[in-house]
Amino acid sequence: MNPFSPANHLILVILTPLVGALAAWLLGSRGVSAVRQSAAVTTLITLTGAVLLILRALPEVSAGHAFAVSEGPWLVDGPFDIRFSLGLDGLSIWLFGLSALLSVTAVMVSWEAIKEKPVGFYALLLILESAMLGVFAARDVILFYVFFEFTLVPLFFLIGIWGHDDRRRAAVKFFIYTLAGSVLAFLGLLTIVLWSASHTGMLSFDIAKLTAGLAAHPLPMDARGGWLQWWVFLALFAGFAVKVPIVPFHTWLPLAHVEAPTGGSVDLAGVLLKIGIYGFLRFSLPMLPEATAAAAPWMLGLGVVGILYGALVALAQSDLKRLIAYSSVSHMGYCVMGIAALEPVAVEGATLQLINHGLSAAGLFALVGMIYERYHTRSIANLGGIAARAPWLAFMFILFTFSSIGLPGLNGFVGEFMVLLGSFQRAWSGVAFEWRTSYLTMAVAAVVGVVLGAWYMLWAVERVFFGASRQPPGDHGHAPPSTADHGAGGDDSHGHGHGPAAAEPTDDLRWYEWVALAPLALFVLWIGLFPATFLAPSAAAVRTAMAPGAAAFAARMGAVPDGSPVTQTAQADAAPTLPGTAIVPSDPPLTAGFERIP
Amino acid sequence: MQSSAANLLVLVPLLPLLGAVCTVLLGRRLGPRAHVPAVAGIGAAAAVALLLLLGTANQVGGRHADPTHPVEPVEMISTLWQWATVGDARSGDLPAAEAGVPIAPGTAVSGGTFSIPVALRLDPLTATLLMVITGVGLLVAIYSIGYMHDDPGYPRFFALVAMFVFSMSMLVAASNFLLVYVFWEAVGACSYLLIGFWYTKPEAARAAKKAFLVNRVGDFGLAIAVFLLWMTYGTLNFHDTRLADGTFVEGILGQTRIADEAGYVAGAVGTAICLLMLLAACGKSAQMPLHVWLPDAMEGPTPASALIHAATMVTAGIYLITRSAPLFMGCPGALTMVSIVGATTALVAALIATVQNDLKRVLAYSTISQLGYMFVALGTGTMLGFTAAIFHLVTHAFFKALLFLGAGSVMHAMGGVIDMRRFGGLRHVMPITATTFLIGACALAGVPPFAGFFSKDEVLASLHAKAHPDAHGSDHGEAGGTPSGTGIDAGGVADRGVRPFRPASMTSRSSALASRAIGTTGTLSTTDHASTPEKVGLDALDHPSTWRLLFWMSLLTAGLTAFYTFRAVFMTFTGPVRIPKEAGHHAHESPPAMTNPLLVLAALSALSGLVLFFTNALANFLAATPSLNAPAVLATAVKHAFHPDIAIQGTLAAAIGIAVAAIGHLGRRSDSPQMERYLGPLGALFANKFYFDQIYAALIVKPLEALALVTAFFDRAIVDGTVDAIGQVPLAWGSAIRRMQSGLVQRYALAGVVGVLAIVLALAWQLRP
Repeated sequence: MNPFSPANHLILVILTPLVGALAAWLLGSRGVSAVRQSAAVTTLITLTGAVLLILRALPEVSAGHAFAVSEGPWLVDGPFDIRFSLGLDGLSIWLFGLSALLSVTAVMVSWEAIKEKPVGFYALLLILESAMLGVFAARDVILFYVFFEFTLVPLFFLIGIWGHDDRRRAAVKFFIYTLAGSVLAFLGLLTIVLWSASHTGMLSFDIAKLTAGLAAHPLPMDARGGWLQWWVFLALFAGFAVKVPIVPFHTWLPLAHVEAPTGGSVDLAGVLLKIGIYGFLRFSLPMLPEATAAAAPWMLGLGVVGILYGALVALAQSDLKRLIAYSSVSHMGYCVMGIAALEPVAVEGATLQLINHGLSAAGLFALVGMIYERYHTRSIANLGGIAARAPWLAFMFILFTFSSIGLPGLNGFVGEFMVLLGSFQRAWSGVAFEWRTSYLTMAVAAVVGVVLGAWYMLWAVERVFFGASRQPPGDHGHAPPSTADHGAGGDDSHGHGHGPAAAEPTDDLRWYEWVALAPLALFVLWIGLFPATFLAPSAAAVRTAMAPGAAAFAARMGAVPDGSPVTQTAQADAAPTLPGTAIVPSDPPLTAGFERIP
Repeated sequence: MQSSAANLLVLVPLLPLLGAVCTVLLGRRLGPRAHVPAVAGIGAAAAVALLLLLGTANQVGGRHADPTHPVEPVEMISTLWQWATVGDARSGDLPAAEAGVPIAPGTAVSGGTFSIPVALRLDPLTATLLMVITGVGLLVAIYSIGYMHDDPGYPRFFALVAMFVFSMSMLVAASNFLLVYVFWEAVGACSYLLIGFWYTKPEAARAAKKAFLVNRVGDFGLAIAVFLLWMTYGTLNFHDTRLADGTFVEGILGQTRIADEAGYVAGAVGTAICLLMLLAACGKSAQMPLHVWLPDAMEGPTPASALIHAATMVTAGIYLITRSAPLFMGCPGALTMVSIVGATTALVAALIATVQNDLKRVLAYSTISQLGYMFVALGTGTMLGFTAAIFHLVTHAFFKALLFLGAGSVMHAMGGVIDMRRFGGLRHVMPITATTFLIGACALAGVPPFAGFFSKDEVLASLHAKAHPDAHGSDHGEAGGTPSGTGIDAGGVADRGVRPFRPASMTSRSSALASRAIGTTGTLSTTDHASTPEKVGLDALDHPSTWRLLFWMSLLTAGLTAFYTFRAVFMTFTGPVRIPKEAGHHAHESPPAMTNPLLVLAALSALSGLVLFFTNALANFLAATPSLNAPAVLATAVKHAFHPDIAIQGTLAAAIGIAVAAIGHLGRRSDSPQMERYLGPLGALFANKFYFDQIYAALIVKPLEALALVTAFFDRAIVDGTVDAIGQVPLAWGSAIRRMQSGLVQRYALAGVVGVLAIVLALAWQLRP
């Protein structure tokens, strides 16, 4: 048996952090530096392994196939077909890589911050990494759920033990809230499994088989069938909406972020939030197309509300970390909007936006942690003029801010633009006439969110990094003397010598902070300049995932919306029926076609 | 030629980019020589731009003879890489497993492939602007060596300037609306960082944020315009392309579509696109109502103001509209709006400028006003108008950069003081600055034969032609007309009809598909009225009386321009010598690094108008731009002529303005009572900039901040409160259950799993086969 077969490679990558956690535990007696070094080495090895795996996987994945599939039989007997099934495909490949990348960041930002109980901290961080890698690699409902829940426990302890003042409340709220949602989601998934089993006679948990099974025998979406599909959708929605989080299920997030240690925040914002959208793409869209289609306008609305609501609340924050937490709420709204638009451009954009937000939010949370380490405050009012003392820190913060507010040339723009473009396209030509106004309104409102997003982020940058340098209260002599009177001379201060010369940049980034941020910055630029590199591998899988939902949506919208030649001409050669008359029957041919999938 | 020119074209943005990267990487090590990479990069780019300009001019070649005859458009495209591609949802793009699955109608909604190549274009318009950007950029960079020499942010400044030159060259060279949007924001980011260059000054930080946010409002318009363009035309490329699968895609501004008289959407959608672009242009080019950021942007270093906020970046809006000329031609209402916005802005900004005492702010408002002038010309929608706008753009770049750099030189000598009331008589102290500033002022005021006189004359002439369509000969017949509907035979009309929303990628020229398209869109266009273009209410604005009003507004603006310009000249350079104490004892002429660029720009300000006008080289050259080659634009071309009547009116306006300024300020102490005391309440209105900032604060900023606070309260009290309340429910269940609330998460998890299992079993029983 080849230990480097793709399947084994994948399993090795997922297990490496667990081994590293064990190593950290064994090295515990050697002190902090041994533990953190071992953690750093572990995450770097994992990252290397993940990168190599992704490189091996790209050709297959780009073609729309799953890669590195392993199927260890758990219980294959009679009606039972339960396997331990792992693998990567276009939906998960970048999220898998992101998890490995951000784990390095999470360790590096904890380098000096975590001095208490380092063994537990780093061990939990590594266990969390395993769980994150696993959840994206799972091809099996049970395994997915196990990893999904498994991400909660380490983070619960990370927040509860190494968090800030209100850590216990935050940890409990985070855990209970997410658990409550995910239990419902699990119920929904089990219903799917059982429904599928009742039709195929085989109890299988395999996601691909379930998808095919549901395509052949969709869950009933009418009163006769008890609206079962609708209920299952709502159950899954409960789990994923809390995770994303979709407004109004978001209030655990700011609390958890504010109280979490930086490393936890990086993983939470960077990866864990993505599981929600990933869940929608993996389960809801392909398995419950009719319910998704029915819910799509409302989800789109929730996405837009999230964008605007998150931005407005962020605008009113006085705590920098809370502000960025709310910006996450706002930015995840674009992802929700993207998948709910059910347009190829938008869904691909949303998938990319997951990665983009992972990079920029993780970078911003890491930087807030660095600021906190230096000045012991996160209060925007107490910070100021950091750019003079830590120019590279300021540079990085502005870079990630630009990425976050969707400045073109950086990554955030690509996803945001594609989502908005797709939403406009949907509003313009993809909805029934009576929906058109509301869809257009929502799309325009989402673009307004882009303006608001720039407002609160630049406001924070102005207050925290620019202006007169000031010494925050509670700062124990870290910073050079205050230069508060510097450059405040009104008209007279035009001209020369009013730069940051007075303050030596003593608080600038240290080497481990560079290690934490530089790779993120690299990807911020890479995705911004060459998004095709990242879009292409996911495209096929995204299309497959969204096709049933999009078809159901089109059927629901009465096939052809009024006055939309884009649609009509697009179909001119694809559909023999004359557009305008083609009302898709209640049993769309698309679902029938899925029977062919093994 | 094509490929080599295209390869060279890449160098124009690339070299400054390399300069910027080198400055960032080596900045600290280079110390006082940190300017070298940036200046070298921009200089080399300027040399390449000159080559390209000459090469393009050579291609346009000997077709100078008569502008009324169509010239062959000249366009070279160089595609660097594929930025993003999202294939459409039709078969073939699906993975193999689903290849046989029929896609239900409605899924394949994307109108073709969303394909964004990073493609650069070279045409006369781009070549002209590249030369201006790199040329002025180089002069400003050289000037900055002297101006910024003891600033601690020296390397950062040069890195940003080089970065800006890169972004701006990309903006005018990009051949795709998405790329234009990308660099539209990128120049905004450079501007943000340069305005906030002295970030320890709170005003600078605030001004930077304001500039970015106001521009974002404009970008909002551009974003939606781009979405609408995508929906309407099915591509975002300017040029025609052929996809990998052989499909021919008509670019939005491609030569195929431009030549097609029915190639553009008019009516509500077309007007919406144009108005959104106008909003974007208003943001970037500081037109009302989005002009409020530019005066504040003067907090940045003066060379940056000269380059970005006077000569180049703020002209991006003019570029965008000129480039999109064919789109605008079908929407006379939108075009008229361009002129109305421009004329109003020009007048209002000129009025504000008359009472400013900060030399840089006078120039800032003057920039807003002159940009308004260019908008006025663009809005006429005639060949003369478009070329006049670009002509004025070029001369303005020279003389406004000169004036800003002159103001910087004054500021440099005065120890950072820029309030004109605090110094005077500086012509004795700094003669070169005074002379060159005077030349710039003459050019700005439109004194013949300086550059501004000729370009302003062209602008006024284009307006005059619209205001008096009969007076300008028969070749004006179609000046106010709309493009579609003229010159199409009946069969063509029936075939094409009014075709709103039809994406080009879906438009095969084959008759079968065309007839099918008509079959589907037929309900939208009534056949018997097919030749009448769709009208929107705004189109009623396009009336000679509107243009007459705009003409007089512009003429009044010309007089005011001359007044405030010479008021500034007289206050700064005449009267008794007074030097503020901040200047210390070293009030002297600036070093050669600063005065040499002034001299070059002064020569250009003095001569460029004369040369370009009498040879008419620029207008002939620009006419070969594909966008200006649309039949609708070509139809408005007139013979190049000098308009003595308009020239006399313009000169008279300038003379009156200068005379009034002389009466009030020539030879007087600049801190003596000002002329605005005769203005009464109007003086307060002008001094407070028509209260725009206050109105925005009261109507937008404060309400939004209040809304944010309310939302945050709602979030805390209602949303989170509800969650907490639900969380409390279990506590009320009584003591029996309370013991389960142990706080041990493991136990919760156990309970959860047990519950799940129970439900699973129940469900399994329910669903048993």
